[in-house]
Amino acid sequence: MAKEESSIAKTAAEMVKGLAGSYAVTLKHLFRKPITEQYPEYKKPLPARSRGRIILTVDPDGDERCVACYLCSAVCPTSCISMESRERDDGRRHAAWFRINFARCIYCGLCEEACPTLAIQLTPDFEFCKDDILKFVYEKEDLLVNHGGRNQEYNFYRHAGLSEKGEKGTHINEKPPVDVKSNMP
Amino acid sequence: MTMPAMCRGTGKTGMMWILGFILLLIKLVLVLAVLLGMAAALVLVERKLLGRFQIRYGPNRVGPFGLLQPVADGIKMLLKEDIVPASADRVIFMLAPAAVAMTSLLIFAVVPFAEDLTVRGRRIPMVIADLNVGLLFVLAMSSISIYGIALGGWASNSKYSLLGGIRGAAQLISYELSMGLSLVPIVMVSQSFSLVDIVNAQANYPFILVQPVAFLIFLVCSMAEANRLPFDLPEAENELIAGYHMEYSGMRFALYFVGEYVNMVVIGSLLAVFFLGGWRGPFLPPIVWFLLKVMIVPFFLIWSRASLPRFRYDQLMHLGWKVLLPLSLLNIVVTGAVILVTGR
Amino acid sequence: MPRLVIDDLQIEVPEGTKVIEAAERLGIMIPRFCYHKALGSAGACRMCAVKFIHGPFKGLQMSCMIDAQDGMVVSTTDEEAVAFRRQVIEWLMMNHPHDCPVCDEGGQCLLQDETVSGGHGLRRYPGRKRTYHDQYLGEFIAHEMNRCIHCYRCSRFYQDFAGYRDLGPMQIANRVYFGRFRDGPLESPFAGNLVDICPTGVYTDRSSRYKARRWDLQRVPFLCIHCSLGCSTVASARYREVVRIEARFNESVNGHFICDRGRFAYPYANLADRPRRARVDGEDASLAEAVRAASGRLDQISMNAGPDAVALVASDRCSLETLAVLKRISREKGWRHPAVFPRPDLEHKTRRAVSRLDRRLAVSMRELESADFILAVGIDPVHEAPMLALALRQAFREDAGIVVMDPRPVSAPFDFDHVAIAPAEIGGCLSRITEALSALQADSAAQGKETRRPEAAGPLRADLDSRIAGIVERLRGSRNPVIVCGTDIVRDSTPDRAADLARLLLQLKARPCLFFVLPGPNSFGAVLLAESPGRSFSDVVQDIEQGKVKALLVVESDPFKNFPDRERLERALDRLDLLAAMDYLPTSVVGRAHIVLPTCTVFECGGSFINQEGRVQRVEPVHEGGIPVHQVSGGGHPPRVFSHEVPGGEIEAAWRTALEVAGYTNARDNLSILKIMAEEHPGFARCRDIPTSRSFRVLPDAGDRPPVCEETGDRAAPEAADTLEVVLVDRFFGTEELSGYSPVIQNADSEPLVFLHVRDAEPLGIAHSDWISIALEGGGLEVRAGVSAQMAEGVLVIPRHRLLEWQKLGPVPAQIPFGRISRAGKE
Repeated sequence: MAKEESSIAKTAAEMVKGLAGSYAVTLKHLFRKPITEQYPEYKKPLPARSRGRIILTVDPDGDERCVACYLCSAVCPTSCISMESRERDDGRRHAAWFRINFARCIYCGLCEEACPTLAIQLTPDFEFCKDDILKFVYEKEDLLVNHGGRNQEYNFYRHAGLSEKGEKGTHINEKPPVDVKSNMP
Repeated sequence: MTMPAMCRGTGKTGMMWILGFILLLIKLVLVLAVLLGMAAALVLVERKLLGRFQIRYGPNRVGPFGLLQPVADGIKMLLKEDIVPASADRVIFMLAPAAVAMTSLLIFAVVPFAEDLTVRGRRIPMVIADLNVGLLFVLAMSSISIYGIALGGWASNSKYSLLGGIRGAAQLISYELSMGLSLVPIVMVSQSFSLVDIVNAQANYPFILVQPVAFLIFLVCSMAEANRLPFDLPEAENELIAGYHMEYSGMRFALYFVGEYVNMVVIGSLLAVFFLGGWRGPFLPPIVWFLLKVMIVPFFLIWSRASLPRFRYDQLMHLGWKVLLPLSLLNIVVTGAVILVTGR
Repeated sequence: MPRLVIDDLQIEVPEGTKVIEAAERLGIMIPRFCYHKALGSAGACRMCAVKFIHGPFKGLQMSCMIDAQDGMVVSTTDEEAVAFRRQVIEWLMMNHPHDCPVCDEGGQCLLQDETVSGGHGLRRYPGRKRTYHDQYLGEFIAHEMNRCIHCYRCSRFYQDFAGYRDLGPMQIANRVYFGRFRDGPLESPFAGNLVDICPTGVYTDRSSRYKARRWDLQRVPFLCIHCSLGCSTVASARYREVVRIEARFNESVNGHFICDRGRFAYPYANLADRPRRARVDGEDASLAEAVRAASGRLDQISMNAGPDAVALVASDRCSLETLAVLKRISREKGWRHPAVFPRPDLEHKTRRAVSRLDRRLAVSMRELESADFILAVGIDPVHEAPMLALALRQAFREDAGIVVMDPRPVSAPFDFDHVAIAPAEIGGCLSRITEALSALQADSAAQGKETRRPEAAGPLRADLDSRIAGIVERLRGSRNPVIVCGTDIVRDSTPDRAADLARLLLQLKARPCLFFVLPGPNSFGAVLLAESPGRSFSDVVQDIEQGKVKALLVVESDPFKNFPDRERLERALDRLDLLAAMDYLPTSVVGRAHIVLPTCTVFECGGSFINQEGRVQRVEPVHEGGIPVHQVSGGGHPPRVFSHEVPGGEIEAAWRTALEVAGYTNARDNLSILKIMAEEHPGFARCRDIPTSRSFRVLPDAGDRPPVCEETGDRAAPEAADTLEVVLVDRFFGTEELSGYSPVIQNADSEPLVFLHVRDAEPLGIAHSDWISIALEGGGLEVRAGVSAQMAEGVLVIPRHRLLEWQKLGPVPAQIPFGRISRAGKE
């Protein structure tokens, strides 16, 4: 019986301690200097990999990297990327049009992760407010930049052995093509 | 009584009646202005305080130090579209917010906010209506405010609102009981239901000294009555989005909002009246003492909001029925015993 | 029935079932590349390794190579098997070019799936990748050999299953190459199936190259409407454009595959010059306005000149819904019943064929594959019903004998005896076979009695006797013979003769044995809904010329394509007070019509069709109607304005517009159309009870109807010496209406040849691929000639090709004197 009473007292003491503790913490905070940074007056430099406005980069040859493989639009959780892929006159796969609706975009960066050609990249620029929601719909012309973004060297077509870009067997890490009409090993 | 009847009153009685009426009007306007002004200011104070409790600034963009924020909020609320959901019960949906705001304001009618003024030998009571059943009136009004929440939640025809309304009703009923019972010892000690008499009964010492348990119960219950953290289950954001007022917008939402903050002020004044000796205090004028005492409660509520997590629903019910109710009953018994023994 | 345990689940399977198949029945999908239900096992890819724990086999084995046997205990998740499969997929990926982003197979690639499921991620092998040169394989198939994993599915399908030899494996070991000896278009009309069957992206569909990913497509189980067989397909659309057709497995129709016509004909639905806006007297109008105009003028004409002055024309590419509605409105308005068939003989033959089929007699295409003797009369399978050729090939692979009785130089991917006789002789031959067979049966039934010699049914050549006797013998000796009969080039009575023979065979063998090939995808339905006697379009033309018909409502039909005399047709149409056309194709009639009411393709509104064995097959729409997004935007990005309206989206199914034209504005929902269909033909009442995904046959139960042959005089041209009989025929490409609009098929199509027999050509001095000119009343026809010894003498086989002006020939059957045919100087 005594034990029970003591345990009730103990619980009550703990409760009071807990309550008092939490009130004390907040009260202490009341007199601390706020750590807020006043944004428009002071702009904190953002890390290079922070995720803001999306761009479409170009490969070292200056040709657009995007091959309209639909991986970004497939992975996009808000379905804000849409495009239509076509065969370009030179046989290359490209996006006839490519559209990102930034009004829907949540800047999660999944598109960048999914992109096999490093075409789609997120930049630290996050300040692009518009007074009209339609202006958030960016077309391919608005998204294309004239540089390679974070990786200036990578060229998807140097790795994928397609004959549209260079003959068979001339890409990185390839043997010359098999001569099917010869018996020589 | 109709106006002609009033005018027909002869001589001095009629004059006094009209004077009293004018005085009443002045008091009403003053109280209403102060109360609503305090509620608006309280919104800013709460946001500022919460900011500081969380090492932030709080609103600081509108006007100097963000002081005009309530004005901006008011304009925003007025200009917002008043949306009534297509499937809502229109009439009840429109009336429900008024019920909340109105009952909070009505409670203040019986709260004395200063010592009676004596002008030219005439006593002017610094209370709008000194009801002899003031305390019961307070309890009745706070019960009626349940309707605002329950009906608002039901009339919205939305599951979140409905859940919020149901929770609100259950919670208010549960805590009302303990709240009422916690006030019984006050009545026993002061021998009156009138709030003015209760203040006067504390001429020597505030009741908090003789009734600390009742004070605690009343404080906790009034937090629950005001739907403030940690008792804000009717509008628990992470479960019910916004609870009973989820479908409301514009001024109708603002009425709920105003009701809540007026409630805070009212609770502060009730606490001051019941336990802290009302307007009584040394050195300073009574009205200042009263305001100071009134502001303690909102500050404490905001502080609690910054410090405590929300109850789980079962914990809420447990606390109300299994802790506060027996405790307040026990308090009555003990008080009665003490009065019996000491004879006063 | 062996009973075995796979992954702790017990199953009993028929003898001869492979373990991989048994697992699939349990819902366990063992990874595989080379194994395919239609092609069987090869054991080439080593992906399907599983652990055999108890039973006749022990240890790791390929589940596709081992027949399920009693007492087997198999684990697919055994550590050893999983590790083995992981290594196999890593080896298979060793030389993969990692070009999935630009590969059209990406997203529907078995190799991708198995690589992910096998747990392989990064290429560890540091060596260089083996590469191959690619080949040009024609307009349909793109070749990218670097992606190959050597499962041999393509060569097994192409050579073994489909029976063509020009694509196959070359080289050995790590250098095995699948392709042709030289670059060039694939010869097989079933080559498109390589796209479906290749587990990776070696063969991809050029027509849908780089257009979409599988996960973005609106995919709907669909139906092929490019011949009367009604094969099952999957249609895929994106951005209001059909982008791909794939084969869909159908147990009773086409099996796993479809032909190239069915696969690549879809671009007709995406044409930029498709009628998208209604027109009234050459001015664009809204659909509602045009409907009002058409309705008003038709009513006006039927009031002034009597309802009989309004004629309807439909075609066998109309859905059952459209045909039923046309029948309903023509009856209620008193207009002329829709003329569906271009020629009276086609109408008659189809009607006879349909009336002779019943539940006991009709054989489905899959049942045909198990026949052991097939007599095909008046049909060139590859050209008239391509998948029939593949079915016959499967029967041939199971050692069935095949006899083709046809005047054309038939070539098919199986060995057959070709009885090359003129169309006029086919019926006679059939009668003689029937008589001989029944006589022999009577002989054996009543031995000792006086035998009755079969008498010649017609003037047949002596050398035929022995061949007919041979056919009779083989029919007697076979367990499961099937008669396949065409309806295009044969004489009017031939379908009846074929049905007579089939009935006799049914008595003898008690197995279904009759397979008709009809002229179009919905000919069966058209005949079911037609009034009797039916009227063909040529009758309508006659009535226009006599002034009896003043207004013509042409619904999804192009008489200019089918009517044999173009100038006469033009003159006739000019006499009309009103020519209203409802169509989704930019046909000549749409160009000339006073009122144009555009309609939806089957892709946009769905529909029901009845194939040649009486199977009602219904499909849902694939995508909502409207102008394809890239046509709206001119190739650039789509418009940026927000609108609820789809450009070109007001167009509706032909039956809805037809109902509106007739003034029925409240019967346009899907339930009412089912009601109308059921009212127009009781057989369609089941459409209401049976879900769209299931098909049913509207054949009558085994009727004990006597084999009455409705004897009508065959419409034969007067016989004359020194003439060639003109036989107008269909070709695989170029003659079917819808596929003729497909740019891919136009590019792939070869030059049409007019065939004549060596002995007919020699006196004229014509050699193979010479240009010849055929002088006619309506002008000359210059065309390249094909000379063959494998065809009937005395016939001139002319394809109804869209590049040939065969319409100048006039009515068929026709005779052309030798003197009219000469070598042309053109080179």
